[in-house]
Amino acid sequence: MDTTDKQIEHLAKLSDFSLSEKDSKSLGKDLESIINYISQLDELDTKDVEPTYQVFEMENVWRDDEIIPQEASREDLLALTKEQEDNQIKIPKVL
Amino acid sequence: MSKYEITIGIECHVQLSTKTKLFSEVDNDARGKEPNSCVSPVDYALPGMLPRLNGEAIKFAIRAGKAMNCEINKHSRFDRKHYFYPDSPKGYQITQFYHPIIGAGYIELPDGTKVRIEHAHLEGDAGKLSHFGNYSLVDLNRVDTPLIEIVSMPDIHSAKQAHDYCKELWRAMVYAEVTNGDLYNGNMRFDVNISLAKEGAKELGTRAEIKNLNSFRSVEHAVEYEYERQAKILDKGEKVVQETRGWSDATGKTTPQRSKEEAQDYRYMPEPDLPPINLSQEFIDKEAAKLPTTPKAYREKFSGTIASDTLEILLDYKPLMEKLEEITNLFSGDIRDNGSELSKEPRNDGSDAAAREKTIGKISNWFASVLLAEEKSAEYLNDLPSAKQLANLAEMTEKKELSSTGAKEVFLRLFDPQMKIKEAKEIAKELNLLQENNLDALEKIVDEILADPATKKAQEDFKAGQEKVIGFLVGQVMKASKGKANPSVAQEILRQKLKN
Repeated sequence: MDTTDKQIEHLAKLSDFSLSEKDSKSLGKDLESIINYISQLDELDTKDVEPTYQVFEMENVWRDDEIIPQEASREDLLALTKEQEDNQIKIPKVL
Repeated sequence: MSKYEITIGIECHVQLSTKTKLFSEVDNDARGKEPNSCVSPVDYALPGMLPRLNGEAIKFAIRAGKAMNCEINKHSRFDRKHYFYPDSPKGYQITQFYHPIIGAGYIELPDGTKVRIEHAHLEGDAGKLSHFGNYSLVDLNRVDTPLIEIVSMPDIHSAKQAHDYCKELWRAMVYAEVTNGDLYNGNMRFDVNISLAKEGAKELGTRAEIKNLNSFRSVEHAVEYEYERQAKILDKGEKVVQETRGWSDATGKTTPQRSKEEAQDYRYMPEPDLPPINLSQEFIDKEAAKLPTTPKAYREKFSGTIASDTLEILLDYKPLMEKLEEITNLFSGDIRDNGSELSKEPRNDGSDAAAREKTIGKISNWFASVLLAEEKSAEYLNDLPSAKQLANLAEMTEKKELSSTGAKEVFLRLFDPQMKIKEAKEIAKELNLLQENNLDALEKIVDEILADPATKKAQEDFKAGQEKVIGFLVGQVMKASKGKANPSVAQEILRQKLKN
């Protein structure tokens, strides 16, 4: 297993994905080419450049602390889940 | 056996009591509410949902920071901390990893020790999981409740100090009015890092982290347990494993916890959906000025007047300290009610200070030993008697118009919904508790008792040197006065008369 395979496996584990070997290989290939492409940026000297956190020149975007009734009801939202019980979202045991 | 020095650092999560959540406009107070009833599409992390920052949480963070003597950072921003677990539908927590809003500061413990705060940051809480046989249930009400996580420096060196730090932090946050401070419901949770090193060693030992403690006592006991556990390992020449452990109040033990992740790899990245926070000094100063009196300020103010163990008890109850402050203000400045007993005679500053100290001394003792001993004390704290009622009661006791037992009775009646509209004196009168201090009236009663042939033998015995008989005679006076005589005055008159 080369480095990329290990990284893919690690990332898949962190996200609780199960990947077939075939998927893992093709994903690895894709990621590798993306990373290679982006690596071109390494040629630039960014020592004195401030990191960009966002592309909009916005700051202090706040809202008031007021409760606003939600358009989506509790039932609407629960209906989006795969399974529910007693108004809670039912999931496979995690502990 | 060698001696070890213990080093402790504590991380504390405080739930802020804003009206809405940190990133959505839904109710932040889910107490007593149905699961998943305080949620929005943002909390469910539906595709395309944008977090919208609650400005009030920033103001709360400024107050909380100032309550810990911290620098407030003018520039702060949010980051994503990735982890996969069903308590967070987003797959990440929005936190402040690189640029927190609260900088360095300190908390001073009652014994004067300063525990430095490394920093504190704003972040969203996770949802709540309940585990059943072969499934778990998720309630998202708590998702993105605003938290501040307070990270201390490793300045704590005993279980007692760990306890005191957590309690002082709790007080600081409750007095700053940024949290409901209900530990039972998880409003404050502590993660405690503990390591041992040989005394005098330059380097710290390997630490274990005890996660999610929710009471001061658990913190103290967990530290005691860990000291013993780690000391045993080191005594054998073995190494402590760096790990996360859980604490059980039931067993009084810590046990290793399986980590959420195989390896902790949070892949922090700047949160692109939330523009940075850039605060002006004016904005910070304006919010900082709203910080109410801190527990430390109250401690300094009352330490000369109230015994320190009583003061430390009372400091757990903000309404009581506020009331004592209000009573203090009756004596100085302009807050003088024309009808009040307190304002009838003009006082110079000296006697005013003495009267104030006596009053505060009495009332603080009633608070600590009478009020807090009541079953309903929690309820009473929400609706305390007025400063004037309490000060008048103290003054009556000082003037011996009430016995100490009588005073306690009237004091408790001041919390009775039927009685509390009345002044202390009125209540004392109704309960027939006013003591007879009128010397002429008392003298008359004493004369009657001494003239009674039934007391003749007692009088002779007393004159013959039987000191304790005086108690019997005072008792007779009390009986004749229907309990209203002031016993110490009665005794004085009796002694005077029997001398002749």
